[in-house]
Amino acid sequence: MSLAKYRLSDVRSSYGAILGVAVDELTIAAGGLYVLVGPNGSGKSTLLDILAFLNKPEQGVIAFDGAPVNWTRKECASLRKRVTLLHQHPYLFSGSVARNVAFGLSVRGAGKEDTQAVVSESLERVGLAGFESRTARKLSGGESRRVALARALACNPEVLLLDEPLAHVDRSSAAIVESLVVSLVSGGMTIVLSSHDERLGRRLGAEVIYLEDGKLAAAPEQLSSVPFACGTGGGHAHS
Amino acid sequence: MDFIAQSFRVATALILSGDRDVMSAVATSLNVALWSVLFASVAGIPIGAAVALGRFPMKGTVRLALNSLMAMPTVVIGLLVYTFLSRQGPLGSMGLLFSPAAIVIGQTILATPVIANYTLTAMQGADKGILPTARTLGAGNAQSLLQLAREVRFALVAAIVAGFGRVVSEVGVAMMLGGNIRFYTRTMTTAIALETSKGDFAFGLALGLILMAVAFAVNAVLTVAQESSRA
Repeated sequence: MSLAKYRLSDVRSSYGAILGVAVDELTIAAGGLYVLVGPNGSGKSTLLDILAFLNKPEQGVIAFDGAPVNWTRKECASLRKRVTLLHQHPYLFSGSVARNVAFGLSVRGAGKEDTQAVVSESLERVGLAGFESRTARKLSGGESRRVALARALACNPEVLLLDEPLAHVDRSSAAIVESLVVSLVSGGMTIVLSSHDERLGRRLGAEVIYLEDGKLAAAPEQLSSVPFACGTGGGHAHS
Repeated sequence: MDFIAQSFRVATALILSGDRDVMSAVATSLNVALWSVLFASVAGIPIGAAVALGRFPMKGTVRLALNSLMAMPTVVIGLLVYTFLSRQGPLGSMGLLFSPAAIVIGQTILATPVIANYTLTAMQGADKGILPTARTLGAGNAQSLLQLAREVRFALVAAIVAGFGRVVSEVGVAMMLGGNIRFYTRTMTTAIALETSKGDFAFGLALGLILMAVAFAVNAVLTVAQESSRA
């Protein structure tokens, strides 16, 4: 049985009077693949921000690798070196593609030679080999998202969180991202991604977590009757 | 018209001959302005960043104060600093009044709100994704802020240039705290005011031309630097 990477208990987060997310119990297994599915405003991005240790929930307990998170500045900074979130609209820094992909490595104090090798390898994995010297801001939308994915991969995180990674992406880019996600999970990485597309979870063989109005919801009937192809997750969600 | 043309000829001759009075005023102006801008940047950029990114009570009041300080008359700043540096003042024993150091103090106070306000605007206008992106890639707070500064570096350079423009062109602080002492605290602007009032229009014009050339050169260097780093 897989160990729990995250265990959330009674987690609540809101934006003023508007509920962002309210999760009674949620377990994310180490090495699992999860797809958060829900309409706009259902709390997917809010939950991913919490899982990325970018936003502290107003209440509740989150345990990471079995240890409760205290949300101190130092602890969050340390945890963010192990968990990387790729935003829905990723921001690429000014300068070259290589400089972007190397960012996570440079803040970790990696050497120049190691960095160059990892940058090349990461770009190759997303199908952008040879893009190192290109200006990041001059890339197409699909290329930009793949550079952002390569930048996240270069950090070699234990957990990769992807916010709508396939939104506004052409078919070939989507295929690259999907096969990469599957290969990363088989390599032991824990991945949680969000999507509007309920079929994505089945395509990837992922555990699907439904969100509605910030709360975990039951699977829609038409989907729950269709068994997953090969669930890699093993997580359990209770609302 | 002859008078103006004649003045231009004399001014050109003064510049080309490297007239000692002209060169001394230019050197003093640049010296105090560069030190003032350096100190004002060290103070103003963090203040602007803190107001832009921080959450604290009375933030609106602090912004209002910074905006108001931008419009502070130079003679008022000169007067305030004068009261501290004069013999009867709390810092009178340091003997700084009528020295280049006194001008630097006054001009630093003058330029700090300008640089802080420009920094504040730059950081508030920056893409909201910069800090979360840096953080989620493992950057600590200082590294994230440094990355934000890198992303808005052109606006920060503009802030520093605005601060430089404010101090290099002012008269009040230099006159009140420097005393317009020849070969010591006489700046281009105080020399222009003095010589023109004495009727030496050509000398004032020569310094005026140099002042404009300095402003043009500083902006040209920064524009070239910006363009080359964008390429």
